[in-house]
Amino acid sequence: MGIRSFGKKLNADNQTLDAERLCERFKEYDFVSIVDSTCRTRTKIAGEIKRMRIKPRSGIPAVELVINDGTGEATVIFSGRKSIPGVDHGKCIMVDGVPHKVGDRTVVLNPAYTLLG
Amino acid sequence: MDEMVISPSALKRFFIGKPIASSEDQHHRLSKKVALPVFASDAISSTAYATEEILIVFMSLAAIGMTAYANLVPISILVIILLAIVVSSYRQTIYAYPKGGGSYVVSRENLGRSPSLVAGASMLVDYILTVAVSVSAGVAAIVSAFQNLVPYRVELCIGFIALITLANLRGLKESGALFAPPTYLYILSLASLIIVGLYKVYFQDLGPIDHTDPYAQELLATQKSLTLFFFLKAFSSGAVALTGIEAVADGVPAFEKPEPKNASKTLVWMAVILGTSFLGLSVLAQKIQPIKDHEGNIKITALAQMAEQVYGGRNIFFYITQFATFGILILAANTAYADFPRLSSIIAKDNFLPRQLMNRGDRLVFSNGIIFLGIAASVLVFAFGGIVNALIPLYAVGVFTGFTLSQFGMLVRHRKLKEPGWLVRAFFSGVGAATTSFVAGIVVVVKFTDGAWIPAVVIPTMMLIFLSINRHYLRVRSFLQIEEGYVAPRRTHTVVVLVGSVNKGVLQAVKYAESLRPDKLLAISVVGSNEEKAKLESNWEKYKMTAELETISDDFRDLTDSILNRINELDDENSDDIITVVIPEFVTAIRSQWLHNQSALAIKARLLYRKNTVVTSVPIVIE
Repeated sequence: MGIRSFGKKLNADNQTLDAERLCERFKEYDFVSIVDSTCRTRTKIAGEIKRMRIKPRSGIPAVELVINDGTGEATVIFSGRKSIPGVDHGKCIMVDGVPHKVGDRTVVLNPAYTLLG
Repeated sequence: MDEMVISPSALKRFFIGKPIASSEDQHHRLSKKVALPVFASDAISSTAYATEEILIVFMSLAAIGMTAYANLVPISILVIILLAIVVSSYRQTIYAYPKGGGSYVVSRENLGRSPSLVAGASMLVDYILTVAVSVSAGVAAIVSAFQNLVPYRVELCIGFIALITLANLRGLKESGALFAPPTYLYILSLASLIIVGLYKVYFQDLGPIDHTDPYAQELLATQKSLTLFFFLKAFSSGAVALTGIEAVADGVPAFEKPEPKNASKTLVWMAVILGTSFLGLSVLAQKIQPIKDHEGNIKITALAQMAEQVYGGRNIFFYITQFATFGILILAANTAYADFPRLSSIIAKDNFLPRQLMNRGDRLVFSNGIIFLGIAASVLVFAFGGIVNALIPLYAVGVFTGFTLSQFGMLVRHRKLKEPGWLVRAFFSGVGAATTSFVAGIVVVVKFTDGAWIPAVVIPTMMLIFLSINRHYLRVRSFLQIEEGYVAPRRTHTVVVLVGSVNKGVLQAVKYAESLRPDKLLAISVVGSNEEKAKLESNWEKYKMTAELETISDDFRDLTDSILNRINELDDENSDDIITVVIPEFVTAIRSQWLHNQSALAIKARLLYRKNTVVTSVPIVIE
């Protein structure tokens, strides 16, 4: 128990560090922060790409991104595509769409997007 | 695979021997002639140091000088009376518990849980001390004969303990062939020493030893008067002669039929031999006047001093006596190796000690108990420098606590059953219980600062450990108990395959993961760069993988943490899910294994005890 909770604490520290870095990075833009985004309202949110998921052969292909702006995470799904040029780990992206909740997660389906570099 | 490398199992085979099938477990019965050496070696061996221990208290601690010799015989007679009481009580135990009635069993049946645990703890402590004391005394006999071995006393002790441990792991049976010669040789050499010694003293005017050593003369010159405190202390030292007499009651089932009768006869014989030789040695010591101190400045044992004086120097008879003493003491240590593992397995069966103590090894012995005993005894010998006298105060507490509880248990049993003539027997048990508890009390009080506090602390601590182990087992049992109408829940099954790069092993692992028919299948890879990610994704496409592939950016170059965080998140998505983590692992020859799987190992170690998580390795054997 001791070792595990200690590990968790150290983990949290890494994640906190990263969150601070991201907050700093997105301060210059005037977007809604992910944690404040309202459901079913058109919103512009932005974040750094943390994870990507491809669904190659099962049904319709799709690209799933997880973005993080330091305040929280959102999942962005682009259905019908196998890959999107310029969308890669570590890149920043702004998405303009309608977030909704799946369980605890904020999900945005097929939004308009702008690469921020 | 590689014939040149000696595998750990081959090494074990070399030392321990080839495994014996469970069905070959044999229950051989012992005749009285064979049973006597097997069970009596422990008890009779204590004559090798009991007289000396009394002498040390008088000489070195009480500093009463020459008066010590006059008090030796009265103390011995008291010890022999105690012996008679305990033996008469144990005879009843033998008839009452023909299946073996050690203190633990008798108090469990009659007195309840807590007393039985005290008895169990006492006896376990006692067995550890039997090994430590007997080996130390045996080595003392050897170094008395070979003075230049004195500096290596501790090393010799630990070496012999290691040898006995190994022999027992090999499944050394309590066979008569092994036990009989040294035990009978010792009895004969003692008899010869006493008879020849007394003959020479009374008919050839053999005088006492002329102690030229200034230190010895100093001890002899002391002239304090004997106080009750030191008298009791000397008595409690002499009472260690009684250790080991419970062995017969423990081992009744090993006797030929009718077991109780044979066992009780053997017990009486043993007591007679023990009593006579102890008294004989004390009388002889009174005349020959050997000397010994509590700090170990005098290196030669009292027995060796007497043998040297009686036989007129260090001749063949002297060496025979020393080797016989050494032999029986090593055997005495060996009996503890039979008793300790057996008792600990019984206690473990009652859920008071770890289950592992019930495991029988390759040679059908309780290996874990044997190893534990060996280590514990070695630690004791090391801590006390292999000096018998330093260990003795620790010894008697456990023994007499065990005696007391066993006899008190018998008393309760007599009262409960009320068999014909129970009053007389109950009287004997009562007297026994009262005397032995009195002795146990004396030992704790007069030797508290000498080391008797150690068992006084250790035994209750062990009891607490027993109880907490028991509580744990009971908790686990009640947790795992199937209640009325319980049905195992159907859970959402998420399978995660950890992927480094796309290779044959990963393809196999994904195929295996699919065969688990999960509700959700996900391949996860932590990538260091976008090039790596692109390559992985194109390969995923190329090999027509059906599973979803998730790539995680490796922000802090910490593979294990990234994966664990991701698994935590996946786990949070559903409340009722179970996650299987499939890890493809390369298996190569042992010499190159360390080149692989370090990260897999780290991840496995972190996930091993996670709730609702199954970790599966898919081995990819590289031939």
